[in-house]
Amino acid sequence: MHKKHRILSLLLVLFMIFSFVSFAEPIQKDRAGNEVKLPEKIETIASLSPSTTQIIESLGLLDKLIAIDTQTPNYVEGVDSLPQFNMMTPDIEKLAELEPDVIFTTSMSNLDGNPFQQLIDLGLCVLEVPSSYSLEAIKEDIMFYANVLGKTEEGQAIVDEMTKNLQKVEELGKTVTEKKRVMFEIGAMPYLYSFGQNTFLHEMIELIGAENVFAEENSWIAVTEEAAIAANPDVILTSVNYIEDSVGEILSREGWEEVTAIKEKQVFYIDNGTSSLPNQYVVNALIEMAQAVYPEIFGESLPMAQ
Amino acid sequence: MKLRLHKKYKLWLLITVFVALILGLTLGSVGFAPKELFSIVSHKLFGASLNDTIKPIHVSILWTIRFPRALMAFLVGACLAASGTVMQSVLRNPLASSYTLGVSSGASLLAAFVIVSGFSIPMIGRYTLPLMGFLGGLGTVFLAIAISVRFSKTLENHTIILVGMVLSLFVNALLTVITSLSHERLSHLVFWQMGSFQGQTWTNISITSPVLLFGLAVFFYYSREMDLMTFGEEQALSSGVDAPKVKFVLLTVSALLTGISVSFVGIIGFIDLIAPHIVRRFFGSNHRMVVPLSALLGGGFMVVCDLVSRTIISPQELPIGAVTALIGAPFFAYLYFHKGNKHA
Repeated sequence: MHKKHRILSLLLVLFMIFSFVSFAEPIQKDRAGNEVKLPEKIETIASLSPSTTQIIESLGLLDKLIAIDTQTPNYVEGVDSLPQFNMMTPDIEKLAELEPDVIFTTSMSNLDGNPFQQLIDLGLCVLEVPSSYSLEAIKEDIMFYANVLGKTEEGQAIVDEMTKNLQKVEELGKTVTEKKRVMFEIGAMPYLYSFGQNTFLHEMIELIGAENVFAEENSWIAVTEEAAIAANPDVILTSVNYIEDSVGEILSREGWEEVTAIKEKQVFYIDNGTSSLPNQYVVNALIEMAQAVYPEIFGESLPMAQ
Repeated sequence: MKLRLHKKYKLWLLITVFVALILGLTLGSVGFAPKELFSIVSHKLFGASLNDTIKPIHVSILWTIRFPRALMAFLVGACLAASGTVMQSVLRNPLASSYTLGVSSGASLLAAFVIVSGFSIPMIGRYTLPLMGFLGGLGTVFLAIAISVRFSKTLENHTIILVGMVLSLFVNALLTVITSLSHERLSHLVFWQMGSFQGQTWTNISITSPVLLFGLAVFFYYSREMDLMTFGEEQALSSGVDAPKVKFVLLTVSALLTGISVSFVGIIGFIDLIAPHIVRRFFGSNHRMVVPLSALLGGGFMVVCDLVSRTIISPQELPIGAVTALIGAPFFAYLYFHKGNKHA
């Protein structure tokens, strides 16, 4: 009996050592697979996407931020005074002058090649985190930021919270008996845009127990008006905020009168920020979607967790 | 002999365009049998009772979505082709079009202004964008002509083209400044510039068709003058044509036709360039024939392009601007050189 215990504790110790080793293994590649070398210490951060800035904020590192992109102030408060850069065509000279310890970008490919190459050549640490297409990849992104910034525990807590909330929604979603067919618009008429598989929004529609009318398609798609009407969705969700009253626009479309969602006025706006930025706050969009599509199941009781 | 050949070609053109229209109306993400098509149309036009097999949603798809879309494609194709023909003839330049004179850049500029500022004219609401696009396009052409008059009293072609292009580049630069200052609304503007036949209504048809008819009537009225002007302005002057005046009228009306198209469907190129060349190849250069036949060809061709754009990867849509050139370029090469060889 004792022996068994000893072996078990030995295994446990070994396991801990190993996990510690793997945990301490230095990061050598960014999320896009580029070889990178992290600086010893990170005191200053440049974040060139709103999604990244939100994650940095939730890791409690907003005070280390010294540069942001032009979109960020729309999503994060209290950073307006920082220098702002266009994420596609950043002012390289100014960025170089600020000398951030790390620069987070969402994409380094550009028509003219890598706009950050000069910074890399100068020895600055540029880390690319491409926009993730799945909920699982979003969690990995969060852990990447957390590990790079030495906030592994905090990152894990965010991811755990996210996982817990996703599970909660999924469990309730499984109780759905009558699957509603949902169309989610991310571009309004006359340029209808929606999505098929391999997007986190598609995953989210399935999590709440509904069905995406364009489930057969792949990724982001421009759809024809005819196809959208012929799909006859039970519910239409929209995250369009570049026109006023996107719900009203949908409800008043000519030729859509016979679509179930229009007849039954099942058209809802889902927050653009939380449904488009790939980070833990997608859970908030998920809850909004769940309550819009199945109010009787998700009601008011779901916590606004993230 | 030549006339009989023309007649034969004309018959073929008519049949082809007719078939294109029928296909454009029947094919789509929901297919309709001719019988259903007939039933829905007679229901809508004459109040006949519907076949029991037809769902109300199919009636909306056909009558409210597809018909206006296909017909608008026809009208816009016709407008662009007719306008391209006249521009080429009047400016005696095979590459000239309303776009050369800045219709698209002017329309884009005012459209950008509307999109970025969220400005909306009371009463007409959703038609603010088309109206402003239209005014911008037409305004730029007027400006180009007005500046040209300062340099050359007789409205010399090279002057008009040069002024048009310089003005167009200048307006484009203004547009670039606006777009680079306003990232948030950028997607809307980019979509608008790509052009689309999505979301056409019967109202758009009822606005566009009289403009097209008016334009064709003006072109028809001046067809003799256009014939003479293709030989050169001196020739025309000696035959008693008031070239600058005629030129002014024709350029304005051409810009009007392009402007109305751009305002409803965005910027679609190519058709204005190739339709006139194909038609001249087959029917000679008599404007009484060339202009209406170009319009017919342009309309039919646009219906086919739109059909392809909305069906080939259904339920997805390909941008119409890409389709016109993708189909149009080989089609043009085939017709132009095929015929050329036979008669060479």
